[in-house]
Amino acid sequence: MSVDFHIELDHSEGALLRLLGTIERRGFALLNLAADKPDEESYVVRLRLAGERDPLVLCRQLERLVEVRLVKVVPPPPEPPPPPGFQATWL
Amino acid sequence: MDGSRQLSTRVCTGAQWLLQALEEEGCEVMFGYPGGAVMPVYDALVDSSIRHILVRHEQGAALAADGYARASGKVGVCLATSGPGATNLLTGIANAFLDSVPMVAITGQVQTMVMGTDAFQEVDVFGMSLPVVKHSYIVRRAEDVYATVREAFAIARSGRPGPVLIDLPKDVALASAQARAPRFKHGTDRRGESEGLMRARALLATAKRPLLYVGGGVGMANAEGPLRSLMRSTGLPAVYTLKGLGSVDPDAPFNLGMLGMHGNPAANHAVQECDLLIVAGARFDDRATGKLDTFAPGARVLHMDIDAAEIGKLRKADVGLRGKLGEQLPALAQPLQISPWLQRCRELKSKHAERYDAPGEGVFAPALLKQLSEAGGNRLIVASDVGQHQMWVAQHWRVPRAAAHLSSGGLGTMGFGLPAAIGAQLARPDACVVCVSGDGSIMMNIQELATLKRYGIPVKIVLLDNSCLGMVRQWQELFFAERYSEVDLSDNPDFAVLARAFGIPAFTVERADQVPAAIERLLEEDGPLFCHVKIDPRANVWPLVPPGKSNGQMMGCAA
Repeated sequence: MSVDFHIELDHSEGALLRLLGTIERRGFALLNLAADKPDEESYVVRLRLAGERDPLVLCRQLERLVEVRLVKVVPPPPEPPPPPGFQATWL
Repeated sequence: MDGSRQLSTRVCTGAQWLLQALEEEGCEVMFGYPGGAVMPVYDALVDSSIRHILVRHEQGAALAADGYARASGKVGVCLATSGPGATNLLTGIANAFLDSVPMVAITGQVQTMVMGTDAFQEVDVFGMSLPVVKHSYIVRRAEDVYATVREAFAIARSGRPGPVLIDLPKDVALASAQARAPRFKHGTDRRGESEGLMRARALLATAKRPLLYVGGGVGMANAEGPLRSLMRSTGLPAVYTLKGLGSVDPDAPFNLGMLGMHGNPAANHAVQECDLLIVAGARFDDRATGKLDTFAPGARVLHMDIDAAEIGKLRKADVGLRGKLGEQLPALAQPLQISPWLQRCRELKSKHAERYDAPGEGVFAPALLKQLSEAGGNRLIVASDVGQHQMWVAQHWRVPRAAAHLSSGGLGTMGFGLPAAIGAQLARPDACVVCVSGDGSIMMNIQELATLKRYGIPVKIVLLDNSCLGMVRQWQELFFAERYSEVDLSDNPDFAVLARAFGIPAFTVERADQVPAAIERLLEEDGPLFCHVKIDPRANVWPLVPPGKSNGQMMGCAA
């Protein structure tokens, strides 16, 4: 099962390490990560995670990290349409 | 003095700011060990009002700070140098993390210009400690030192407490600067709490067999009083975890004892039979629940905790309440019609009452612990090590309040007992602190006998010596077909002689008839004292829930 998270956190030393470490230690695998730094004091991170545990419990585990300001489970972005003539191949 | 008023004008070194912030946070005692990278802090310490206790190993510093915090309710502080000093702290930091103990751990670090170059005594303690801290900092500017310490204390003690690491590079400690003001984060989300409380009360009102499951969170929230009032006014029966020991009045009629692997059968059976489990500051730890999917199989769950992340983590809650137990527990009070259930609890308690009539001339450790705790009364604080003796303490020591029982619950750190007792004694000089240890555990931090001697700390040590790693031996006997592997400690030193070599008076007890005099001596004699008690190597801890089994399938108790 995969789930997407939107997370906003302080831009402080170790903040991303702490976030990603917590996610992996709590039993979720990182499938995709995009991070942005909209200003000097914050990160905005979008993650796709895979795991069998309850993502809402992970939400609360991330919310208690000191740097984390906001955690949301969000719907996955729509898949981009395949280019004309493209046929997906699954290996 | 509130130094924050003077921040804008004063210039101090980072090390001086560190100590000023510690003093303003009320730190009176810190535990540490000097070394190269932390020398600026030790230099500034000469001018500080803080009492520094020089331990003989950094792990002892962290565990003593842990014991200090548990006994006092204050934040424990430990200090070490970079590299091995920092790594030696880690076990104690992890211990505090697993048991939610407020601690600030300060490590020296190599100079910022050589960080990341594998410099002498450089390790990335910030990275190494990430999984076992509530928060952590590397302070890179002297102007940030003061604020960082103040913020670290606020984080360590707020909400669910925990350890905070401050890694302080040597050049930052030496540099001079004005200090910036701290930035504290506030905010408790109380949305939905009143609605949740109404649902919680409704759950309780309709329950026929409600049961309180009390964890360490009750003591940490100073909610023992509200818990006991609730039990008195409603008649609710209670079981508790290792860390919940002491929160429930030991003399309460419906105190059913500790639950879990070595719990009282009355407690475990009550959990299995209840229809509402009221979880107060507990976290469904596997040592408490046994096989989780068979735990309290017929119960709805009302889970109350300061940490929202614990609610629903392992067992779905029918109602989850995040907040302060001291406010939530009284709100549950209401008349209950549960007489048949209370009668059943009475029967369970009576049927599974402890027995102390062991045959033979040897010392029966459970009886010794019970007699010592009853003779010492409410002035006792017990710091237990880890192993069979830890479970015997939990089962048989009379604990009048949560802060009177110090035990490494989450991490299970052998070597916890002696340094934790040192910390507790310094926090509570009025108390009689007893360290109950085993011959495996005591050797993990035996060097701290030198700390006892140096400062004349009057901790009483009761060493239950069975010449083996008893808990491991017990499991090998029961679950590994008696294939004993590396558990023999029959070549132990003569512990009484060893203690005397450290300058600690010591004596040995080998027979049950020597126990009364030993207890009297332990309780009457001033100063540190080491009581070496030889017990039967074949003694096991009973009852026992076998690994992977339900709490209803206990070995070693009445059917």
